[in-house]
Amino acid sequence: MPIASPGRRAASYWFVDGLPDILAGMTLLIFGALGLWWRIHARRPSSQFDFFFLAAGLLLLFWKGRAILDFLKARVTYPRTGYVQPPEELSETPAGRSDTLITLSLRPAPPPDENVTRFQSRTVMVILWWCFLLSGLNPWKRWYALLAMPALAVTLYALNRRSERPFRWWSALILALTGPALLWLDVAPRLQPTLPLLLAGVWLVAQGACTLVGYLRANPYPRTQEGVSA
Amino acid sequence: MTPRMQQISQLDRVIHEPARLAIMLILGGAGDADFLYLQREGGFTQGNLSGHLAKLEEAGYVEIEKKFKGKVPLTVCSLTGKGRTAFAEYSNRMLGLLQSNGACGSPRP
Repeated sequence: MPIASPGRRAASYWFVDGLPDILAGMTLLIFGALGLWWRIHARRPSSQFDFFFLAAGLLLLFWKGRAILDFLKARVTYPRTGYVQPPEELSETPAGRSDTLITLSLRPAPPPDENVTRFQSRTVMVILWWCFLLSGLNPWKRWYALLAMPALAVTLYALNRRSERPFRWWSALILALTGPALLWLDVAPRLQPTLPLLLAGVWLVAQGACTLVGYLRANPYPRTQEGVSA
Repeated sequence: MTPRMQQISQLDRVIHEPARLAIMLILGGAGDADFLYLQREGGFTQGNLSGHLAKLEEAGYVEIEKKFKGKVPLTVCSLTGKGRTAFAEYSNRMLGLLQSNGACGSPRP
């Protein structure tokens, strides 16, 4: 779907270099790995304690994420393709929830014309809550990853498909297929609840890295100071 | 002169020029943007954009600041309060003109 309005184009420009994906993915990956390490090595691992690691990581992401991205973009993106005001991160207000419901019901969403994003709430928080809720219930034991990963992939795809940062269908399919792969690898049910976090982290980092490589190849570093080739 | 023609002649000529209208649209939707982003987004040449920005700045519609992001110098442009008001007025006037002419419906073949 073409993004026509300047506000939406500016919001999607924030994701043009893949850096937000890489940062969010790295956070999930590092703190998810800490959670997994806890599950493997603790004598009596509390089923939820590993998510405290993740909560710490997400707090760090929400607190310092913008500053880190601005630091990176000042060196990678702004000299190459210019600076535009970063999109405002919208929280899910009641109006936002109705927007989400419209998106899920596959009806056309109202045309957004502001420089805003919901990347944190519709991608990072969705991954966290999805894994947290399913881990709390953990009703499927060894079938957990098989069912959780496709469900997570479909949710991420549906929630973001009309956003400023949509996921491609084949990318969501790859995430979904990690479920059967985990079943095939026969991972212990005790470890399975943290694996969706790790896999989602790897998935985001991989996408971000591909986007970044493509971006860097298409936009070589300019010669003059202000980023404009004479 | 008919009232409609009078309305047309009252359009803000600073904004009415297509390149400047594009700049106002981009800055109105995106917020702050630097010279390079405007150049790429609007498909301007460097000299063309400089000229139009100078005119908008002279009219008090656009503010141009030299900023640093990290160690990178950026020429950041943004709409002023006067610019926002003028752009809103221009949009309303133009919309009114087009609607009164029945030109805001579906495009004719």
